[in-house]
Amino acid sequence: MSKKFINPLEATELVKNSIKKRRAKDNRLRLYGRIAIGMATCFLLFLFFSIFTKGYPGFFQYYVTLDIKFDRERIDPKGDLSDTSLYEGEASNIVNESLFSIINPQGRKAKKEARKIVSSGKDLRIAKLVKNDPSLFGTVTKVKFALDDDIDSFLRGYINRDTPESERRISDNVIAFVDKLSQENRISYEFSDYILKGSASGNPEMAGIKGAFFGSILTLSVCLLIAFPLGVATAVYLEEIAKKNKITEIIEVNINNLAAVPSVVFGIMGLAIFISIFGMPRSIPLVGGMVLALMTLPTIIISSRAAIRAVPPSVRDAAYGIGASKLQVIFHHVIPLAMPGMLTGTIIGMAQALGETAPLLMIGMVAFIVDVPNSVMDPGTVLPVQIFMWADFAERMFIQKTSAAIIILLGFLITMNAFAIYLRKKLERRW
Amino acid sequence: MFNFYLLVVILLISFLFFFIGLKEAKKLRLVYKNNLHSLPHYYGFYALLASLLPSLGIYFLMTIGDDFLFSHMIKSYIPDEVTNAKDYNFLIALAQINNSVEGLIFGTPPQWVTDAAELWKSWVQTSNIIVASLCLLTSIASGYYGFLKINQNFRSRNAVEKIIMTLLAASSVIAIFTTIAIIFSVVFESVRFFALIPIDEFLFGTVWNPQFEGAERAGSGQQGLSQYGSIPLFAGTFLISFIALCVSVPVGLFSAIYLSEYASSKERALFKPLLEILAGVPTVVYGFFAALTVAPFLRTTGSMLGLDVASESALAAGLVMGIMIIPFISSLSDDVINAVPQSLRDAGYGLGSTKNETVLKIVLPAALPGVVASIILAVSRAVGETMIVVMAAGLAANLTANPLEAVTTVTSQIVTILVGDQEFESAKTLSAFALALTLIIITLCMNFYALHIVKKYREQYE
Amino acid sequence: MSDKANDFKSLDLTVGDVFSKEARLKARNVNVYYGDKKAIDNVTIDIGNKEVISFIGPSGCGKSTFLRCFNRMNDTIDICRIEGQITLDNENIYDSNIDVVPLRARIGMVFQKPNPFPKSIYDNVAYGPRIHGLCENKEHLDSVVEESLKRAGLWDEVNDRLLSPGTGLSGGQQQRLCIARAIAVSPEVILMDEPCSALDPIATAKIEELIHELGNEYSIVIVTHSMQQAARVSKRTAYFHLGKLIEVGKTKEIFTRPQHNQTEAYISGKIG
Repeated sequence: MSKKFINPLEATELVKNSIKKRRAKDNRLRLYGRIAIGMATCFLLFLFFSIFTKGYPGFFQYYVTLDIKFDRERIDPKGDLSDTSLYEGEASNIVNESLFSIINPQGRKAKKEARKIVSSGKDLRIAKLVKNDPSLFGTVTKVKFALDDDIDSFLRGYINRDTPESERRISDNVIAFVDKLSQENRISYEFSDYILKGSASGNPEMAGIKGAFFGSILTLSVCLLIAFPLGVATAVYLEEIAKKNKITEIIEVNINNLAAVPSVVFGIMGLAIFISIFGMPRSIPLVGGMVLALMTLPTIIISSRAAIRAVPPSVRDAAYGIGASKLQVIFHHVIPLAMPGMLTGTIIGMAQALGETAPLLMIGMVAFIVDVPNSVMDPGTVLPVQIFMWADFAERMFIQKTSAAIIILLGFLITMNAFAIYLRKKLERRW
Repeated sequence: MFNFYLLVVILLISFLFFFIGLKEAKKLRLVYKNNLHSLPHYYGFYALLASLLPSLGIYFLMTIGDDFLFSHMIKSYIPDEVTNAKDYNFLIALAQINNSVEGLIFGTPPQWVTDAAELWKSWVQTSNIIVASLCLLTSIASGYYGFLKINQNFRSRNAVEKIIMTLLAASSVIAIFTTIAIIFSVVFESVRFFALIPIDEFLFGTVWNPQFEGAERAGSGQQGLSQYGSIPLFAGTFLISFIALCVSVPVGLFSAIYLSEYASSKERALFKPLLEILAGVPTVVYGFFAALTVAPFLRTTGSMLGLDVASESALAAGLVMGIMIIPFISSLSDDVINAVPQSLRDAGYGLGSTKNETVLKIVLPAALPGVVASIILAVSRAVGETMIVVMAAGLAANLTANPLEAVTTVTSQIVTILVGDQEFESAKTLSAFALALTLIIITLCMNFYALHIVKKYREQYE
Repeated sequence: MSDKANDFKSLDLTVGDVFSKEARLKARNVNVYYGDKKAIDNVTIDIGNKEVISFIGPSGCGKSTFLRCFNRMNDTIDICRIEGQITLDNENIYDSNIDVVPLRARIGMVFQKPNPFPKSIYDNVAYGPRIHGLCENKEHLDSVVEESLKRAGLWDEVNDRLLSPGTGLSGGQQQRLCIARAIAVSPEVILMDEPCSALDPIATAKIEELIHELGNEYSIVIVTHSMQQAARVSKRTAYFHLGKLIEVGKTKEIFTRPQHNQTEAYISGKIG
């Protein structure tokens, strides 16, 4: 040692001199941390804010109230209220006549434009009304009809009346008609009965999530029925029964790898195996559920294994000590005690499956399907795919509907996750 | 509906055997004064399983098998003038027949399709009768066999447990089957793709321009306008992932450091779940956000600054993807930082170092492997992410490093090629499988490496 | 190697009388391995009818491992391998056609840490009779539960809250609940693995008293850390050291006149 040992007094002095700088550095790191957290929180808030401000109006739309003369001859020519009879009837003409009596369009072109003011779902609406309540026949009743999406956008202020006529989607004539209608207080802004009760539709004012919602429920049910038993069984086998050997190791590595496979690849597998080889139909919730089940299986297995491992060995010893068999120990003690953890993992897996889009695109759940699926074999779509499809449409009103659908989807996801957290807190056992 | 009723009847029969077995066992129990090996209900279960499992097995085998059989049998009923036609494809013919069977009739199908469909329907009826009678017979016969085995010395509990253990073991093999299915579904098609397009052209080509060309031309190996160089796709994928990392690594890492070292327990309890919400938002929502909020915002900001930003720029997709993977980095890094033993920190504080010095010079270097692993996992997540890029990145295969231009990615090409109508056997359709194969290999390698690092790291502190 | 030679070897190692006149359990040349490590080295000993025998020795000497061989609890450990022979009433319990389930019903076990199931007190005791189908009806089961709790000296303390969770009892009560649970299936032998090591002195005294009483009904093998406890509850004592059985004998003699120098060293506190 050539250099002398530092004198303690000198050392204290040195530390004292540098301490300010070091403290500043410390504060800077803390600040960076705060900024990072702040940014992440801001991203989250901005995301939610942007979705909610866009989506909230999507739950509402503009309606026009018209006096409808329920003339049985014209609406229900066969008089048996059957679908064909109502289809042959001329309900739309009745609605248009009522509309024309207010706005009084002149000339062919104006009449043609006027017919488009009320959404093309008007005849279906009348058919539904008379089916539910045939006593309407012969009366004149006020009925609300959705307005066409362009007019809806105009009323919301997205279409400016000062832009030249050639550059906007609605003509001067139509603007005049709408003004007339609002003067007569016939236009109202109300909670949309299409967003929740309507199904897929090319007309944005009539589009709703009902079909996708039921598609999601069916798909998730299939997914749950397959993934939960399989996941729990696999976890139990690997933790409680399997000897530690090569095969078990291969299974474990496999599960970890499956968790890392991109979701779109599961879709390709569904396409190649279930649809091409097994010859199952496209677009059905059964195949969708199976693909999602295989995708969520690793999540469920991994969390179930953690839950099983958390069951203290003393409980197993106690049961073995009285002469319980291995399966009795598993089914009477280990599974009941690990159940909260397994359920939490399953709910999180299901939430993941509920939000998943890409694999379902691959197996054709992206098809345009108007009917609500009644069984897992009926073609259908699911909420996230519906969102994806709507996001692709050009009409302005679809943006609001998409955001509204996103709010509903997020609502379900938050509920599921909150339930998982609640379950974990409530049933968590301290050993 | 037929299948449903058949399954219900099989179930009912097996339950019947449960009660018969239970009753028999109770009788034996009285006779032998509690000297029965197992509890009576195990004898019931044994009879139930004996009745149920074989018939279910037969049912599934036959329902899966009959489609194969029928499509093989139908071949000889397709008229020669159809099979000899130049554009004949058996799969298309089969699809036509199947559609007709299911009642999906578009226009007027040719006579032979309708005939074949009628034939098919009659086969389905015959096979239904065969399946039903076979399943019912099996369930009764094997159930009766199980019932016969019930006697005083029969160890029904052990037998039942053995069956259940086998079932549990079988379910764990599903994971292996899934992997095999994934490999199977991409490898075969990829091999066929590489038969059409040389592998080096795919791996090293710089132009991606797939076209539908009609099956016969691609089949004969003729080169058309199509080019299948995957470099632009991978460049696009990694450009977007890189942008995502630029957002998520600093934010995620600093958040993790702050949460594990500086934050009070209250802050931790608030912000940790908040960050995890970001991981729970569906990717389609991020895609929508990127396409309708972020991209227009970047475009207007860009034009104000005099920059030309593409409406589907890599930047928009990358930024939003970055937000999405923040929680992957922050929570895994948080875990590894927490796993650094307190004794190391104490050593640092004991020397009088500040928090900053302890974190940067002691904790972080110790946790570095884990942090690196978390970043690799995040990259693999970003590379495999589909919806954001499908919705917010374009389809133009530009080979560029400029984040303001539109690029395309592997996953968005896969989706575009495989969604909707596909041409059988065309190089374009097959290329999606080759892309998927490459994607799987890349993500698996990253995952493998990351887990390897984490494992080594854990061993260090255990 | 012939059996004779083996016997000779083990007798050569062990001091004192390993045999018992009315032997229920007989261990002959038992070796236990954990992987490659030998945990029990050639132990031979008898457990007599209705006798209380203590296994003592320093920690890690293998006494608990050896105890767990008697009801094949070591089966649950994958890497554990057992050689030699253990018979219960002259029937080899490691025979391939022996079912461990009825075996464990005949040889009950109480563990080091009280480990009641996270269920009600009633369900804890009733679990064994239920899985073995010992009771025909609810009344019978009720009386078995009551009798077991009475024998375990717990009835008076818990009879008003049979449906509250067993995990809510105090440590000593939990351990007595575990004993009640073990005797509810009417075992012939009870193995106790340091049953008092997690308990305070008062609870320990109660359990010891209980073991003393139960000794009139059952054969009891108790592994203990405390020599005083061994002296208080057992008639015979076996001293283990590093996986070997060093000395067996009447408790009084072992503690007053140990014959092997290692036993003496342990008892006088030189090993511990």
